[in-house]
Amino acid sequence: MGNKAVVELINVKKQIGKSTIIDDISLKVFQGEVFGFLGPNGAGKTTTIRMMVGLIGITEGEVLINGISIKKNYEKAISNVGGIIENPEMYKFLSGYDNLVHYARMVPKKITKDRINKVVHLVGLEKSINNKVGRYSLGMRQRLGLAQALLHSPSLLILDEPTNGLDPAGIREIRTYIRKVAHEENMAVFVSSHLLSEMQLMCDRIGIIQNGKLVRVETIGDIIDISKEATIRFHVDPLDKALHFLQSFYEKTDMEIVDDYIKISLKQEQIPQCNKGLVENDIRVYGITSTQATLEEKFLEITEEK
Amino acid sequence: MVSLIHLIRNENMKLYKRTGTWVMIGLIILAIVGVGLFSKFVLDSDAQINWKEQLKDENMQLERTMKDTEKMGVGNNYVKQQLAINNYRLENDYPPVHSQSLWGFMIDATNFTGFVALFTIVVAAGIVASEFSWGTIKLLLIRPVSRSKILLSKYITTILFALFMISLLFGLSFIFGSLLFGFSGLEQPNLVYQEGQVVEQNMITYIISLYGFNSIDLFMMLTFAFMISTVFRSSSLAIGISIFLMFTGPQLVQLLSNYEWVKYVLFANTNLQQYTNGIPIVEGMTMTFSVSMIIIYFVIFIALSWIIFEKQDVAS
Repeated sequence: MGNKAVVELINVKKQIGKSTIIDDISLKVFQGEVFGFLGPNGAGKTTTIRMMVGLIGITEGEVLINGISIKKNYEKAISNVGGIIENPEMYKFLSGYDNLVHYARMVPKKITKDRINKVVHLVGLEKSINNKVGRYSLGMRQRLGLAQALLHSPSLLILDEPTNGLDPAGIREIRTYIRKVAHEENMAVFVSSHLLSEMQLMCDRIGIIQNGKLVRVETIGDIIDISKEATIRFHVDPLDKALHFLQSFYEKTDMEIVDDYIKISLKQEQIPQCNKGLVENDIRVYGITSTQATLEEKFLEITEEK
Repeated sequence: MVSLIHLIRNENMKLYKRTGTWVMIGLIILAIVGVGLFSKFVLDSDAQINWKEQLKDENMQLERTMKDTEKMGVGNNYVKQQLAINNYRLENDYPPVHSQSLWGFMIDATNFTGFVALFTIVVAAGIVASEFSWGTIKLLLIRPVSRSKILLSKYITTILFALFMISLLFGLSFIFGSLLFGFSGLEQPNLVYQEGQVVEQNMITYIISLYGFNSIDLFMMLTFAFMISTVFRSSSLAIGISIFLMFTGPQLVQLLSNYEWVKYVLFANTNLQQYTNGIPIVEGMTMTFSVSMIIIYFVIFIALSWIIFEKQDVAS
């Protein structure tokens, strides 16, 4: 991973009327890194991305791309950016190839036919590139979207919900491309999503946004570490007695009765010991299930706190 | 810097790769061919042979109306002009321009500029708003090109489309007209009544000037539709308002012509023919006044389009 910040958000704010939609977001994305921008719907992901690419104005703060301000020197700053904003909406009455020619004409440097063909090959659309986009499946459109974003070899790739509406195979494909361009071509990739399991597999670092605020930025490893402790469900009878026992056993641990079971956070190795204690106290144990806290739960935990 | 030519090529590609555009072009061709065949084979051609007697009859009628109107004390410029021109024809043996001749057909065809205006409004109304409704505006704007340049390329493309349609109309009516009616009577001049005299004018100049006059209206409505499309991002709204105004505007202006303020309305000024033959809608209006009004409206339309397209946030 390089250490050059390709994109930098400095105290970015967006106000519409009196309401603050994005509140003081600062972050950096480095070369060769996939940065996940995670948050529930309506948290401000798309708004942030639209500010980063100049589709909407920045009320306060600054977005720098390769050190160039998107506010003051838009054309120069944006020439290093490729992106898909929301759905990859292309011209349906044009062929995939004509769509790419269209975007190729919109950059200052000349993009050769070879380059277009190379990108088409990279996203695996050779067979259907001369068909009208109206006949493309969503997965093909997503790939064509990726192709137009990569056409001018940008140093920053911004993808807003790139896996939206794709089937599992399509999601996997996109994921592979994203990791490939980041790690092989040393691009910085900024991906937004509310699909947390996706982020876990795709990103190197994750920033969590909630109500327009950046709540946390962590490497994917750190987030998974925190969640090593598993949540255990004890299906037991009687519940009250069991809870009483467990409370005396693990004084400091959180636990509660949910429906017909007890929920408790434990490390894996504590389970047998706990089970033994329950049985010795004449409590009938019908089942023990362990659920590894996923990024999803971690995420809900973080966002519910606030 | 991304060259403007590239952007215009893009816009043209998007315009001409759509079926709708070709339907409009097809309709224009169909209209010309249809009217040509109609006047060749359906219209009565006796009129051309007996034109002298017909003109004499017409003159008698005109003289009668002239006397009637004089009694009522109403001005009758038009009748006077027509009489003078008819007499000039009889004296110099110039038959009136007839639909069944190349020139006549070409003059009739200029009426189709209304169609061209309609189609151009459709294009102007869609060229910005469609990008919003297709959702493609987002990918279009995140390029190293300023918004004003993108808008300019779209405006130029619309103008080019209008020019193309008018040339098509002119060219086709000439080709089809000469095929149907041949080249007889080409030397015939157009007659205009200027300062109490009948003056001979080159016919092709006259036809081109007809296109010129009609194009002013078309050009302003195109710019108006383009503005509505850019400001409200809705092509249906732009088409609706523009076409409604195009049809009702001139009538309304006629109706309200007793009011002094009507002369500040765009539609009172777009028809510059009112100064070359006939009387202006509101007394005291001059060519210079109308041209200035047209320029003022144009600047307002363009400024609104550009300022709003430049500033507005593009959210969903």
